[in-house]
Amino acid sequence: MKVQELMTKNVESIAPTKSLKQAARRMKDLDIGYLPIVQDGKLLGTITDRDITCYAVAIGRNPDETDVQKCMTKDLITCYEDQDIDEAVQLMEERHIRRLPILHHDNTLAGILTVDDIARTSHDLAGAVLEAATPIH
Amino acid sequence: MKTLDIMTSQVETITSSESIKDAAVKMRNLHIGTLLVVDEGKLLGIITDRDICCKVVAANRDAVMTQVREIMVKDVSTCFDDQDITDAAQIMADRHVRRLPVIRHDKSLAGLLSVDDLARTSHDLAGRVLESATPLH
Repeated sequence: MKVQELMTKNVESIAPTKSLKQAARRMKDLDIGYLPIVQDGKLLGTITDRDITCYAVAIGRNPDETDVQKCMTKDLITCYEDQDIDEAVQLMEERHIRRLPILHHDNTLAGILTVDDIARTSHDLAGAVLEAATPIH
Repeated sequence: MKTLDIMTSQVETITSSESIKDAAVKMRNLHIGTLLVVDEGKLLGIITDRDICCKVVAANRDAVMTQVREIMVKDVSTCFDDQDITDAAQIMADRHVRRLPVIRHDKSLAGLLSVDDLARTSHDLAGRVLESATPLH
């Protein structure tokens, strides 16, 4: 099975110069915890609800005046939409992650594959990803 | 298998009168995303990095002036430490949560059970919880 058959498409994204507060608002309004940061169709990074708590609130940065690009994860692990699910799962296990941005071959964003998407097809693969992931406590 | 066999017993807590900034600092320093809110040994609620992002940053509240009790989730589902892990997984699936505080029969806090803990014992139980959880995107 290919990644594109399982991934979430039509993913919401945010521009790198938006503020952390704007990112937090969108996460709240859309009921999501993760936003890819995209400029001119290109994926620059990602930011999570946890990043906003740990890199803004915890260190006293003003979320109104801090750009998302300052707190985003840049060292991204990605895979292509036509790769096999097993390859994506292996990548997630090796890198201890629960979400994987998925690219078209022109390197624009195609979607996101999460451990929840995987669970809808295989409890076993999803369980393996969780077991390898950084704990959520 | 009983919940106490697989739960995390070393649980980090915070008191209800501490500030949201204190909670964020604790989450950052301890590399965790959840704190149980405990006053005098009694579990009052639970607070996550996501709560801080969505209910403080997005809502423009001051993290230093806001107390944990104003933001925490109070209506917390729990299970007993001697309950079977299949029951615990069912509670998590029914309530759409990924983490479940575990209490003893005298109502004192025993630990925290996460979907990651389940995955180490049963990929299938963890997958069932994920499938019914609120999406992670």
